Amino acid sequence: MTNEELWQATLGEIELLISKANFITWFKNTSILSKTNGHVVISVPNGFAKEWLENKYNLYILRTLKNLDKEIQSISCQITNKHKPSPLKTSENPVDAIIPPKRIIPSNNINSGQISPQSNLNPRYTFENFIVGGSNELAKAACFAVSQNLGHIYNPLFIYGGVGLGKTHLIQSIGNESIKNNSQLKIKYISSERFTSDLIDSIRSQKINKFKEDYQKIDLLIIDDIQFISGKEKTQEEFFHIFNYLYQLNKQIVLSSDRPPKAIQILEERLRSRFEGGMIADVSKPDLETRIAILQRKASLDNIEITNEALEFIAENITNNIRELEGALNRVAVSSQLTKELLDLDYTKKILSDIIASSIKKGINHKHILKVVSKFYEVDINDLIVKNRKQEIVKPRQIAMYLMREELHYSYPGIGSKLGGRDHTTAIHACEKITQILKTDEKLANDLKYIKEQLYLID
Amino acid sequence: MKIICTQENLKKAIFNCERVVAKKNTLPILNNILFETDNGGLRLSATNLEIGVSSKIGAKIEKEGKITIPAKVISNFINNLLSEDNISLEVVDNKLKIKSSKNKAIIMGIPADDFPLIPIKKNDHLLEISADKLKKALSSVLSAVALNESRQELTGINFIFNEEEISLAATDSFRLAEFKIKATEFTLNNEIYNNFIKENNNIIVPSNTIIELNRIISNDFNEKIKITIEESQIFFEIDGIKIVSRLIDGKYPDYKQIIPKEYKTKIIGDKSIIQNAIKLSSIFSSNNSSEITLKIDQENKKIFMLSANSETGENSTEVNFEITGVSQEIVFNSKYLLDGVNIISSSKIAILSNTELTPVAIKEVNEKTNEISEELIYIVMPVKN
Repeated sequence: MTNEELWQATLGEIELLISKANFITWFKNTSILSKTNGHVVISVPNGFAKEWLENKYNLYILRTLKNLDKEIQSISCQITNKHKPSPLKTSENPVDAIIPPKRIIPSNNINSGQISPQSNLNPRYTFENFIVGGSNELAKAACFAVSQNLGHIYNPLFIYGGVGLGKTHLIQSIGNESIKNNSQLKIKYISSERFTSDLIDSIRSQKINKFKEDYQKIDLLIIDDIQFISGKEKTQEEFFHIFNYLYQLNKQIVLSSDRPPKAIQILEERLRSRFEGGMIADVSKPDLETRIAILQRKASLDNIEITNEALEFIAENITNNIRELEGALNRVAVSSQLTKELLDLDYTKKILSDIIASSIKKGINHKHILKVVSKFYEVDINDLIVKNRKQEIVKPRQIAMYLMREELHYSYPGIGSKLGGRDHTTAIHACEKITQILKTDEKLANDLKYIKEQLYLID
Repeated sequence: MKIICTQENLKKAIFNCERVVAKKNTLPILNNILFETDNGGLRLSATNLEIGVSSKIGAKIEKEGKITIPAKVISNFINNLLSEDNISLEVVDNKLKIKSSKNKAIIMGIPADDFPLIPIKKNDHLLEISADKLKKALSSVLSAVALNESRQELTGINFIFNEEEISLAATDSFRLAEFKIKATEFTLNNEIYNNFIKENNNIIVPSNTIIELNRIISNDFNEKIKITIEESQIFFEIDGIKIVSRLIDGKYPDYKQIIPKEYKTKIIGDKSIIQNAIKLSSIFSSNNSSEITLKIDQENKKIFMLSANSETGENSTEVNFEITGVSQEIVFNSKYLLDGVNIISSSKIAILSNTELTPVAIKEVNEKTNEISEELIYIVMPVKN
């Protein structure tokens, strides 16, 4: 039996004889230093333990040791300061007794745009520079309310909307606003894709518990693009536990996605119901006025001199998302800098002509639309064209008309003639009806999104 | 146990012990103070297993015995008791009955059997220092101790024992304070001392121990403190009070080499003037780095303390000091500079420097001879640009 085994066995027996508090206090960091001629020297961490072991527990220890090893006759203690050598020590430069204090450069967080490593938040995103319009009013109000009272009003807060409409801006603003109110808060902003890869890393390095603990310490957890956890079972499971833990402690959770929880495919039911348990707010495409306001603000921030007509032109023609909107403005600004020309309506038109034209996809015509729509709804392409009013045909036909109008900018009579010589009022009715349904029916919106994706895949 | 003692004595003994009781611990008994009769007196002891303190007071013993009492209860009780002459203490069934002429109290206790044994030194003491000198040395260096625990060894006070002097030092790696006690100030136990310094003359005492010691000797003691070091422990003894503490294991940085041997510029003047100038300037220094600039202008014989901040404004204070040497312009962290000035106990102060990048020294000036004293030195690094 080695000294170590002997001591382990002794400790095991002594632990049964005395109270746990006493055992921890007096036997922590003890070991056998040496065993010679029946005399055992025990290493103890401090003078108190030495006195106590030598005077109070000596009989217990000796009796137990004797039972294990008959030769042992006596014990004594010795204080050893066995600290783990600190990793700093080895690399220490002997001259480092004193070093100059570094100058701390006052950091102006708002302008520097530095991403804070702890929270992952980009300080550029704040409520102050978020432009509110009818399309995002609700979402912004919900986010702001949450930032003022974390964990108590809307928990979880679920923000959804298409790409480039300001979801990330809004949810990061919650983080930045909360930090402003209380700098002690633990905030984490992470994309669900990063969350997954961190989880995988922690599983690989067997630090899954640390991963969980880290997340459980957070006061405000913001996960961007949560739809990407769809189909990842283990991630969903871990996220579910973290979610529950934080939720029960009233810690705020904020999620964003490009579609509502219902429309996220392969999402476990229990997660889905939890996502829907708090507040769901959407951001939709900004209206013309909001788009102009956004452009004006960006122009003034970046010191771009541009006429109002030109701004309106951009806002009118680029409607889909704010990122494209800002991109278009950047594009005209940069090219005007190169050519030193005045940024007016004509110049803007010239520069943006190819971008705007490209929104009518080259090479896509009504045949493609009919083909994709018929394939999606599993109806025959001819059924769409011939005259009949079967329920299962009417809707796809209307969608095809709507797409021709929206995507290809066909005239109503043109749409009518392409679909078996129908009247232009039929086309008008179809477009209006679909537009109307789209406002309330999310399933149809998602179907349309899918159809459009298919459409653009055609080459 | 049944004893009678004066309230004053008891109060003093409790004052010495109460701070040491453990704040967080596994053993409830560590929250208590041990009361025990000891050779015709009453001994109070407390420990948190890092530091142990015991204080013996005179008392009339009627019956021997011992008990432990929660420190908080007994300390609050004694401190709020109106001045009385004598107090009688009696242990009945694990309770302590306290009786003065007007007041009676019964405090629930825990039997003393489980109270830790405070380590007792085996050998004779190493040396004796006057309490006054040690108090000055300890309070001088304490302000520079590192609070951050990332480097264990810097959270303590370094003692280096030599034949001719003892150096006490503390640093948090931005500034350093060193106090030297000359051989004339202490009496050695020659044989033991010589053996000791041959083996290991460099020890680190936890700052908590030093703070406690400083607090206990802050009452006027004319006596000498006996110091003993053995088995990784340090023992202090004065007037019936014994303090024992563990030592910090580790190697203290070799700080002596960074103290400049000579200086190019030296300014001397009233401590209160520079203290005030630093305080004024620090108002206008930026919040984060608290930078202030000391500008020594040799040609015009003028010294200014300057600071500026884009948010609050700026400030300039002229400091009427005597200049010897070349002109300098040095940027300091105002807090570190002020800490150094504050520990100076003489009315005049000397600031010595070489360049704006090298360590700057602050020293005391002997009031009678007007010479710079070498007893205490405070080193501060200028802020790096």
